[in-house]
Amino acid sequence: MPLSAGSRARITLVSLAGALTLAVVAGVVFGAVRIPVEDVFGALWRALGGNGGGVGDAVIVDLRLPRVLLAALVGASLATAGVLYQALFRNALADPYILGVSSGAGLGATIALVAGGTSLLGRVVGVPLGAFVGALLTITLVVRLASRAGRLEATSLLLAGVAVSYTLAAVTSFIMVFARESMQAVVFWMMGGLTGASWPYVGMLSVMLAVGITAPLLLSRQLDLMLLGDERAGQLGLDVERFKLLALACASLMVAGAVSVSGLIGFVGLMTPHMVRLILGPNHRVLLPASALAGALVMVLSDLVARIVLAPVEIPVGIVTALAGGPFFVWLLVRKVRAR
Amino acid sequence: MSPGEVLVSFSHATVGYGAKAVVSDATFELHAGEIVGLVGPNAAGKSTLLRALTGGADVLGGDVMLAGTPLAALGSQERARLVGVVPQTPTATFAFTARAFVEMGRNPHLGRLQDLSAEDRAVAADVMELTDTARLADETIDKLSGGDLQRLTVAQALAQQPRVLLLDEATAHLDLNHSLQVLDLVRRLADSGMAVLGVFHDLDLAARFSDRIAIVAEGRVIEPVSPEKALDADVISRVFDVRAVVRPDPVTGAVSVTPIVRGADVARPSRGPVGVVCGSGTGAPLLRRLAVAGVRATCGALSEGDVDFAVGGALGADIVTLPPFGEIDETAEARVREAFAASAMCVVCGTPFGRANVGNLRAAVRSCTRLVLVGEMTAERDFSGGPATALWDEAIAAGAVRVSTDGEALEALLGMLDDEEKRDG
Repeated sequence: MPLSAGSRARITLVSLAGALTLAVVAGVVFGAVRIPVEDVFGALWRALGGNGGGVGDAVIVDLRLPRVLLAALVGASLATAGVLYQALFRNALADPYILGVSSGAGLGATIALVAGGTSLLGRVVGVPLGAFVGALLTITLVVRLASRAGRLEATSLLLAGVAVSYTLAAVTSFIMVFARESMQAVVFWMMGGLTGASWPYVGMLSVMLAVGITAPLLLSRQLDLMLLGDERAGQLGLDVERFKLLALACASLMVAGAVSVSGLIGFVGLMTPHMVRLILGPNHRVLLPASALAGALVMVLSDLVARIVLAPVEIPVGIVTALAGGPFFVWLLVRKVRAR
Repeated sequence: MSPGEVLVSFSHATVGYGAKAVVSDATFELHAGEIVGLVGPNAAGKSTLLRALTGGADVLGGDVMLAGTPLAALGSQERARLVGVVPQTPTATFAFTARAFVEMGRNPHLGRLQDLSAEDRAVAADVMELTDTARLADETIDKLSGGDLQRLTVAQALAQQPRVLLLDEATAHLDLNHSLQVLDLVRRLADSGMAVLGVFHDLDLAARFSDRIAIVAEGRVIEPVSPEKALDADVISRVFDVRAVVRPDPVTGAVSVTPIVRGADVARPSRGPVGVVCGSGTGAPLLRRLAVAGVRATCGALSEGDVDFAVGGALGADIVTLPPFGEIDETAEARVREAFAASAMCVVCGTPFGRANVGNLRAAVRSCTRLVLVGEMTAERDFSGGPATALWDEAIAAGAVRVSTDGEALEALLGMLDDEEKRDG
């Protein structure tokens, strides 16, 4: 091995952070209208100084920047949650979307939206709370359904996830039919991708990501143990049930945050951890931060593609990630089947 | 050797999963410094007993104590400082390095947020030396062979520095060399005070490395006793339904179990008896085939310690018992003649004859009307100084059937039995 694992990890983390910075700048610069790079920095400088600029500054500071940052936060949240699910279930095909957690969060968010109205407070507190409850209940249900006498089969986990996901999506649609008056808000949010981005969302999601990623980062050694299987982890002194509960709560929190602002976005949580693991190996101390950065990068770039390919028309960012991620999922599946 | 401190005790314990009991009323103790082997048929509950000690199975009744503390009162980390496990089939689907894998064994000694110290790394390095895995340290475990992974798992368990080591067929994936290496290491660890509870499928390995053996069958545990007492031929027949010869291994001195035939394959003898002149193992294959065919055998006189004596005994053949290395004297020969006269026919296996056993041949030739002779009487077979060859020629002259293999002998005997039965109507 030409590089030690430590220096390889450092190089990867630094490169990812650099690439993410560049992508964020590019995300602000490109769009329906191209903004010169110097204007971007000028506007930021003025905004930080507290002097409100003109309309041009407003586009940058109030529209583009929060949107790009939100994309980064959504990507980081989904990828981190993906790492956690993949470790807890020892299944490289697990991610929030496939396990049905995203749909569950979506249903929770929809109920909160219909019940609680569309005030800013509702959107920033009520909806994420509903999404969190929905996500937690869903993962509990999916694991229950997939377990046979205490054993969790990889295939039945995915099947249960997909089945639950479809059912919950149907319930969401059903609610939308009944709650006609809030339907527009729900549809807008479900399809919306990142169009509704604003600073309060950035703040909310930052908090949820920070809370959700801290415990897993601190307990990365225990996450490594989980990869040996529940029974072995228990033999090595891990309180498996408690740890799982904590890690699932963290993952659900991050998924809830991401779903609350951007609806259902698939495959980011699947692809990114997998690719990072190929480069860095399974050690969670580096896998977690690297996946968060990579997820942010993937999401910012996907959003950029979504905005410029058909500009001025914008396509939902979920379509971009699904177009890239669907084939990736198939590739993983085929490889797994062939490996047998 | 005085027994050490009691590190594991089961007392009227029922263990299982959820509401389902797998082993009931288990009562036994494991002391520091000893290896106790658990043997028994598949699905008898051996692994469940081990699992109960690490939270993998539930204690449904009775008491299980670890180092004097009730199991339920121990947290998972405390428990993992006391008990290390080497599981049956370790799996490695993720690409950790071997070193990182072994270092995971330090988890029970680390605070939740604490990282490995230099000391922890040194412990891991030590146990990798002990298990001969140090050279694998930088390899990723998903690329390693099953044997390497098994030894790394032993290292991982030893990195826990446990007082009790549980082996669940820990050598099942290992070749001869590594299997000895691991078991010798386990012996040394036990000698330095570790208590070892191991599930074995290989009864010889169990007998060789265990101080005591407990048989687990049909959801019960038989109190562990010395291998010689535990691995009794009758017990093995009852527990495994296998007829076996149990005798000390001439090399290791430990009890050795040679399975002969499944109990289910031994038909209740309904034909015969057939006299079998044998000795030194020359009769064992034919005795086995006769037992399967449901033919009762009577072996003549054999000395205790003779292989055919053991095999015939395990299969229920009639034998005139001689002391070890004993000669057939007139009394014994008279009894053999009586037994052979009562059998419809006799077969002489490829046995070498000397002064000590030529009496069997004489009894067969003189008292049995129908004879089957296997092979030739050559100089290499006749150590009697003439009498054996003379008796052989006498039998041929009297019209004995001659065959060259056990298979042909069996065929000839069964044909004769058929004729006999037809004649009797």
